[in-house]
Order: sequence, then structure tokens, then C-alpha cells
Amino acid sequence: MDRIVELEIPARPEFVGIARMAVGALAGIRPGLAYERIDDLRIVVSEACTSAIEGLGEGSVLRLRCIDGPKALEVRIEAPGSAFESAFPINEPEPDGDNFRISLIRALVDDADLQSSPERTELCLVMHREAVSDDGGEGGLPAE
Amino acid sequence: MDLGLDVKERNGWAVLSVQGEVDVYTAPQFREQLIQLVDQGQRQILVDLEGVEFLDSTGLGVLVGGLKRVRSQDGDLALVCTQRRILKVLEITGLTKVFTIYDSVDAAVG
Repeated sequence: MDRIVELEIPARPEFVGIARMAVGALAGIRPGLAYERIDDLRIVVSEACTSAIEGLGEGSVLRLRCIDGPKALEVRIEAPGSAFESAFPINEPEPDGDNFRISLIRALVDDADLQSSPERTELCLVMHREAVSDDGGEGGLPAE
Repeated sequence: MDLGLDVKERNGWAVLSVQGEVDVYTAPQFREQLIQLVDQGQRQILVDLEGVEFLDSTGLGVLVGGLKRVRSQDGDLALVCTQRRILKVLEITGLTKVFTIYDSVDAAVG
């Protein structure tokens, strides 16, 4: 069964750490994501939130919706307007050579997709969980 | 979230030890410290990342900016890093080819 956790943070630098801490903690509840992969996810969430903040400026709110299923953890980060999209060209075929952010996102998550409308932009990040035995297997915390 | 920054002199190197999480919130302190070292005339800077618990592209940008700044003064900036999680970020972004990376401060400063 999927479990959904939602978090809203002010689009300010001091809240990025809270977002990655919350997503990292959630990622470890179910088995199937090794600690290294959870670290990867924390980096990508940090990159995404930072991009949104840089694109939006202060005063806006970022909404994170985490859909935690047995096969994958999906993190949807939603920002108002289109500033997020311009700051974060994940769907472009070739990023600039110096764009560390895009390189990290592409390397560290299994899927990343950006959807936008005039009102909002949403980045979807997916980490697939490894199949594990009932005793918890590798990574994450033991099964409940 | 605090960022620890400590500077010591070792054999002509300014050794900047960084502790904690480097992200968009803490990176400005880190950047300011590097700028200050270069402005003070330091030309051999060693950034010790062994105490870093988290580093994203904002932190990488600070390191690259520091490297460019010190190289413009005919100096160099090297790193100390053995942590797999930090090295992975440096490898993905191609920065292991840009920075000299040492296993320890002692190995760097001789």
C-alpha cells in the first residue's frame, strides 16, 4: 500500500535541509533502498529545492508530496509559476557542461520528469526499491 | 544547521577544515571564507572535507569559484577527501579531474 507524506516549506534556503531530512527519513522506513541510495535522494531533493528557490525568489511556498510504495519512492516537488522550469531544465537533451545540478539529478535518481503549466511546475523524482526478503534484506530499516 | 569552518597554517598551506552540511543555506559562509583567504594573500589552500556530512552542487560551485580565484593569483586549491559519498558527487560532476584530492592533510602538506 502506498503511503503519502506531504510537506510544505517556505521557498527559503534555511528550509532546504528540512526537506531533505524529511524525505531521507521517509525513504528509510521501508526496506529496499540502500543507505547510499537514500543519500543520493537527499542530494537530488536538495538540488531540486535549491533550483526552485533560485527560480522563485523568497516568499513562495514549495510543496513536496512523497508517495512511498513497496516498489518505488516518488517525490513530487511543486512550485508556483514557471520560474522553477527555467531554473531547472531537466528535460533538455544536453545540459550545459558546467551544470553540476542537472548532472547530479540525472545520475542519482532512476527517473526525473518536469511537468509545467502556466500556474505551476512539478518535478517528479523516482527511486525504485530493490526487491527484498521479508526479513528486510539490504538497505533501509527492517520491515515492519 | 551550522557549518563549521576552521583555518590553520601547515607548511605554507592554509588548511580550511569544513564540518557539517554544505548547501544553499550554508554555502555563503563557505564562499566568504575562501574569498577572505585569497584576499589575505593565501596562495596554497587545502580544503579538508573529511568533516562534511552533506555536499550538493552549491558547495561544488563554491569550491570551483575558490579554485578559479586562487588560480588567478597563481595559486592552487586542493582537497582532502576520503568519504565515498562526497567523492561520488565529485566524480559525477567531473571534478575529480579538476581538483587534486589527497587522502589526508598530512599527505598534502608533506
